[in-house]
Amino acid sequence: MTIEDEREIMGQRLHEKIKNIFGRSLSIREVDAGSCNACEVEITALSNPIYDMERFGIHIVASPRHADMLLVTGPVTRNMELALLKTYNATPEPKLVAAMGSCACNGGIFGETYASGGGVDRFIPVDLYIPGCPPRPQAVIFGLMVAVDKLEQKIRKLEVKA
Amino acid sequence: MFEILIKTLKTGTVTTKYPQKPDIAPLGFRGKPELLPEKCNFCGECVKACPPGVIWLDEEKGEKRFTLSCCGCIFCGMCEEVCPCGAIRLTREYELGSKTKDDLLTIIRRRV
Repeated sequence: MTIEDEREIMGQRLHEKIKNIFGRSLSIREVDAGSCNACEVEITALSNPIYDMERFGIHIVASPRHADMLLVTGPVTRNMELALLKTYNATPEPKLVAAMGSCACNGGIFGETYASGGGVDRFIPVDLYIPGCPPRPQAVIFGLMVAVDKLEQKIRKLEVKA
Repeated sequence: MFEILIKTLKTGTVTTKYPQKPDIAPLGFRGKPELLPEKCNFCGECVKACPPGVIWLDEEKGEKRFTLSCCGCIFCGMCEEVCPCGAIRLTREYELGSKTKDDLLTIIRRRV
């Protein structure tokens, strides 16, 4: 057995452990890293009576020290870069990071410029991508369920020879 | 107070049963772009029109590749508008949560 295989097995075990730990509830800290506020409006809609995220045991908390997951929106602007890294370091292990919206995934419409970082994964490791501009509240619920392995991922890489 | 109570009781439960029951997006919703590989002629009009630049063409080992990434797509529908042969269509699918960036790619390969 090579070192890489062992590492993979250890990774799987860690993954199962995280799954067991997060099995019941998930506390989310929302980080606005230079978003246009459309994603924030959708997150607000998640806690209204219609979408009601609390019925899955998903809560929005007020401090990164209480959180299991960071929900990052926006392309990480130069001014928010340090704040995002500090928030990430303040979150206790094991932690998940979700990039919400197209800007957080890949820079989106802002792209990569002097002021815009061009995606969260350039600064901190990302576990979940939720594309959409902004994603529907249902899409966010689906993404969070995928992150904690309660639902199966639907989208797969498609390669066609024509 | 009783008026409010009566109104509350009349309204009932408004919470959607989303993950158990599928929620279909309304007509005209712009979701995941779908490619029709038979119709595409690699003209590159959509590459020029795409505002965030998530569509690109490249060539490798005598194969032309057309790649569309949903990661970073802003679902504006410009590619659908400019495509002369109708090879891109926006569907109503919105459940795009993915654990890797690689899963969000759609690629068409064609021998030159």
